[in-house]
Amino acid sequence: MSEIEVVGQVVGGKAAKILIREKSGEKIELGDLLVVKEKDGLLILQVYDLGYGSQVPQTTRELLAGLKLEGYGAGLTFLEPHLRNYVMAEVKAVARIEGKKIRIPKTLPSFFSSIRHVTKEDLAFLTKPSQPIYLGKVRSGSKTLDVPIHLNGMDVLKHHIVVPATTGRGKSNLVKVMLWSILGQEKFGILVLDPHDEYYGRHQKGLKDHQKAKGNLLYYSSNPPAGANTLVINLKSIKPGHFQGIVMFTNAQRDAIKRYNNLFRDKWIECIVHGKEVENVAPSTIGVLQRKFDNVLGVYEDTSGELQCRSRIFSDTAGSTTTKDIANALEEGKMVVVDTSRLLGQAELLIGSIVVSSIFSRYQRAKSEGKLEKKPVVSVVIEEAPRVLGKEVLESAGDNIYSTVAREGRKFKVGLIAITQLTSLIPRPVLANMNTKIILGNEMALERHAIIDSAAQDLSDDDRTIASLDIGEAIVSSNFTRFAVPIRIPLFEDYIKTNSNEGEREKPVFLG
Amino acid sequence: MTNIHKFAHISDCHLGAHRNPVLRKLESTAFEKTMNKCVDEKVDFIIISGDLFHSNIPNMAVVNEAVKKMKEVRDEGIRIYLIYGSHDYSPNETSIVDILDSTGLFSRIVKGRVDDGKLKLEFTVDPETKARLVGMSGRKIGMEQKYFEILDRESLEKEEGFKIFVFHSAVTEFKPDFLARMTSIPISYFPKEFDYYAGGHVHRRIEEKWKGFERVVYPGPIFAGYPQDLEQSAKGEKRGFYMVSFEDVIKRVEFVEIPTCEYSFLEYDASNKNSTQAQEELQQKIQELNVANKVVLLRIRGELSGGKTSDINFSQMRKTLVENGALHVNINRFGLASKEYTSLKVMGEDVREIESKLLKESIGAVKVSNQNLKGEKGSKLALELLDALRQAQKPNETKKNYGERMVNQAIQVLELNEAFK
Repeated sequence: MSEIEVVGQVVGGKAAKILIREKSGEKIELGDLLVVKEKDGLLILQVYDLGYGSQVPQTTRELLAGLKLEGYGAGLTFLEPHLRNYVMAEVKAVARIEGKKIRIPKTLPSFFSSIRHVTKEDLAFLTKPSQPIYLGKVRSGSKTLDVPIHLNGMDVLKHHIVVPATTGRGKSNLVKVMLWSILGQEKFGILVLDPHDEYYGRHQKGLKDHQKAKGNLLYYSSNPPAGANTLVINLKSIKPGHFQGIVMFTNAQRDAIKRYNNLFRDKWIECIVHGKEVENVAPSTIGVLQRKFDNVLGVYEDTSGELQCRSRIFSDTAGSTTTKDIANALEEGKMVVVDTSRLLGQAELLIGSIVVSSIFSRYQRAKSEGKLEKKPVVSVVIEEAPRVLGKEVLESAGDNIYSTVAREGRKFKVGLIAITQLTSLIPRPVLANMNTKIILGNEMALERHAIIDSAAQDLSDDDRTIASLDIGEAIVSSNFTRFAVPIRIPLFEDYIKTNSNEGEREKPVFLG
Repeated sequence: MTNIHKFAHISDCHLGAHRNPVLRKLESTAFEKTMNKCVDEKVDFIIISGDLFHSNIPNMAVVNEAVKKMKEVRDEGIRIYLIYGSHDYSPNETSIVDILDSTGLFSRIVKGRVDDGKLKLEFTVDPETKARLVGMSGRKIGMEQKYFEILDRESLEKEEGFKIFVFHSAVTEFKPDFLARMTSIPISYFPKEFDYYAGGHVHRRIEEKWKGFERVVYPGPIFAGYPQDLEQSAKGEKRGFYMVSFEDVIKRVEFVEIPTCEYSFLEYDASNKNSTQAQEELQQKIQELNVANKVVLLRIRGELSGGKTSDINFSQMRKTLVENGALHVNINRFGLASKEYTSLKVMGEDVREIESKLLKESIGAVKVSNQNLKGEKGSKLALELLDALRQAQKPNETKKNYGERMVNQAIQVLELNEAFK
């Protein structure tokens, strides 16, 4: 290591708190990745706190500051100040690299070892997997290294991903970058429930601009642009179980639903909305159910006795194949974006419930028939995840299909990409099942602690680092990475410039 | 005061679909009745939204009958407008539709050009009613989607007047459940605000009202293009066409039923029964059916607990039904299996490898005395026979010659030359 490269030296500490004195003129940042060269390889360290160090007693420093501030000695200074005052960095060893092997460090670096910043070459072990999901580039402090970070989609998607951050830190940008990188791989079926209509790119750049979007990306919206599908679900596709954990029913209402479903099979909702009388079901119960369906689905009977839907999302005639079409697309490794921006919360979750239940039961069947191996992994992107995975929701309304997937999905190759601002609302057992966390900046201590407590790596010292993460900066903590990797996520619009759908179009000949 | 005009919307006639003389006659009768009804109702014009014929070059006797009937209609001053369907179009060869179009018997209304990457369709204006028609033909496996992708919808939407959009595609949003796997076009690709969307291709009657698409209508076939259509008819699906009255807007849309024949349908689940029990039960049920002058459809499904599917004498059942007066008998037993021949799971790199493995796995279940048909030898022979029989008809080879060639090759593979000398 040349003198120029050295940024500090190990001067003390213990395993999880190695102390480094910063070399004068160098700048060590929070989150910096540093390297100690050892006999058999490299030790990678990460800075998690910074502080001042000084050889001058505190009272003397305070006196000197007072003299300068009060005008008694403008030219006053320390003798050789760079030797007497300095910055101390608290670091932890995150990985030991021995050739191509990465190990969890179990020894301290040699006392007085010289420290330098990490380089691209040091991270050559971070290779691209066969089914990659791109996240960004390795970040050391605020510096970005030209080392792309990919996760293996086959591993991480079925074991769930959680993206926690406060608003404005780039959650959607990150997920868009991830989805762009896997669009067209045909190894993953991705369902995006998009309450802000921001993924497809109706009015701006989005997934639709991917060169493999045609044939691999389906977009459903209640107001579709040309070529997209109308989001319309036939009432016959809805089963009583789809409401489980999404809409609360009393015992009497549940019994009535069961009875209507038994009697009228897939026309049970229509019969309730039309007020078809059934023995042993009180008219008042039907009245309440009609109001509930009106509130949640927007369906009602008009004055001429016809069934109407306010949002036109649910229909008694159209949309018979929508659920199947979406499930088929997911099973073929395609991406399906469902614009739910015009729906009320429960309707959005219900649509997700219908589709996710459909694909989940298909995959359960495939497993029992020994056909699951050949199926692509399916992942469901759900925003504001505590709406369905929150402790309170699960306690009051019981399990829903999302919590079932969170708990059991990996056995059936179905996973979640849960996006949330409020990680603390998700029960620990559910969070612990989410084996990859892509942590963006978060000012709220409670939320940071919930993330840290459930991370795949020990991030107990990274509280401050997480708090200081800027827009586009993140830490990837995963069972499938050997250490928590700091990354910089590119801006989606910049990232896609290299890979957008602006090639020459085929010129069709019209044959009439 | 404006006059009330009328048009008929017909689809999926599939003339020439049936080889069976009874079904062929019924198909022809349905078409004749439809045309007669159009004349009786004095429609101004007829729209056929694809698949008038079952193939691009159908049997000429079928064409002859159809042309005669359409000529009668034309002679009454009724115009016929039509588009290609997925069956009567061929990308390589001339279609009978082109020939008849050039005679002036009917007008093919798919006209347009690709200009600056946009498909600009032209309207055909009916001379009497001034209705403006524009059409988009169907193609096999939904190939018409590329035209919809570049369709200049705006120019079509701007056109004033009473407008009809004629198409031969399934609309994604309106596909019936059983057609989930059918290639379809999202409604967002269609131009909005036409008065009437005359659809074809989906063999089910559909009337839909949608925001921006006031009337999307599929009449379904007038008779049957496929055996499934017969089954649907037997289950109660009405067959016919639509009659639409209009001035400058639609006044009335009415489905006109064209009853062609009566049906009898029997569905039988053979699960947990052996072949003898299934045979007996079926025979009894068949005897109980009133089949006189009816098209009879049997659907047999399930897994036999014992015996082979071939133990059930379907020929005898057919014979019984015909003796009892059935017009025609169709037995669907694709869903029938036997535990003795449970499904096999084999993997292979290509079709040949899979076939070879399947044959090896299955040959043990075939009980034959000839040693050459057993074991490794038998499966090899079966594979050779498959290879010989899968050869396609050569260009310029007549059907008769092709048949003879196939039979000779099979005889050679089976080394039966002596027996057939």
